[in-house]
Amino acid sequence: MSEKKTFRITRFDPDQDEAPRTQTYEIPVDPDWKVLDALNFIKDEIDGSLSHRWSCRMAVCGSCGMMVDGKPTLTCKKPLSEYGSEISVEPLANFPIVRDLVVELDGFMEKFESVKPWIIRAKERAVEEGTHRQSPAELEEFKQFSMCINCMLCYSACPVVANEPEFLGPAAIALGHRYNMDSRDEGAHERNEVFRGEGTVFSCSYANECSEVCPKHVDPAAAVNQAKINAVLDWATGFVVTRGKE
Amino acid sequence: MARAAHPDAMKPKTPGRTRTAPPMAPGEFPFAGRYRAYTLFDWTGIIYLLLGFVALRVVWALGDGESAWLAVQGQLENPLYLAFHLLSLVSVIFVGVRFFRLFPKAQPARIGPLKPPPQLVIHVALYAAWIGVAGGLALVLAGGIF
Repeated sequence: MSEKKTFRITRFDPDQDEAPRTQTYEIPVDPDWKVLDALNFIKDEIDGSLSHRWSCRMAVCGSCGMMVDGKPTLTCKKPLSEYGSEISVEPLANFPIVRDLVVELDGFMEKFESVKPWIIRAKERAVEEGTHRQSPAELEEFKQFSMCINCMLCYSACPVVANEPEFLGPAAIALGHRYNMDSRDEGAHERNEVFRGEGTVFSCSYANECSEVCPKHVDPAAAVNQAKINAVLDWATGFVVTRGKE
Repeated sequence: MARAAHPDAMKPKTPGRTRTAPPMAPGEFPFAGRYRAYTLFDWTGIIYLLLGFVALRVVWALGDGESAWLAVQGQLENPLYLAFHLLSLVSVIFVGVRFFRLFPKAQPARIGPLKPPPQLVIHVALYAAWIGVAGGLALVLAGGIF
């Protein structure tokens, strides 16, 4: 570990700090390290008060999302050798900051819940009738959108999330769209009402940043814009089709 | 992070017990990185608004008789107008290319039994239609047809 790198890290202690500040650490690093390894080194060896979230270290859990050099990034993914000698690490943009690099997740969870991310059936199937069968072609229609790991990078990249607090946001809409495309689901109309409601999908101005930063290539921008068309079709067909509850 | 986001961005409906610092917008927004193209795309709306006013003025002159029409034609030869029209052309091409890049993947996965063709086919069809319509209009304006 001969090489040294400088990390400019956002610090915020809600009990002491009026506003977030920046603290600089110069540490020896291994080129194979990821930013997360450097943060763990700082926490273990230099400053135990540094707070950050992480878990799997293999870009699966979605816990370690932060702004690295101004870009929403999973800190466990890219080796330090691909960064410069100075690296800035900040909490995810567009989220209230709880402490240091840890952001408030409850608002995100509320948006998630509002799109009803579960299979809705008009009438539940009896157990003796067996399982719902689904063909590979039917699975393919929504599989891409089910790969989301809820890392929230898309929310950090979205200029609409930054300016419209009501907006449901990319991941929540992609998840709702995923269930709308599921052949076993019958709740598309309910979700489309949510999509047309307060946090409307039509707020999206198609910056496409959510898809650019998505580490799992979910393409939430495609989901949001497909959801727009489906929400309009659902609204229009409502004039000629009587629905179950109406 | 350069500027603050909306103070209520991603704020839960029921605030937690811990005091939080307000959210910041992405550091590169709105003038750096990929946001630059997105912001430019938004700003082209101003050019189209101005272009709309110019078109209204021309149509208005058409209703005011031949002398007014000829006067406006003369004014449109002013280098400022020519520069503005060149800027408008660049804007249209920029917005068209951006729109054509993003449009194919925004198609619904299916409408009833109908599914969209492969993205490459949509791309080629969009550009072919654009070139065809632009070429046809150029021919009409040049007096090649009609």
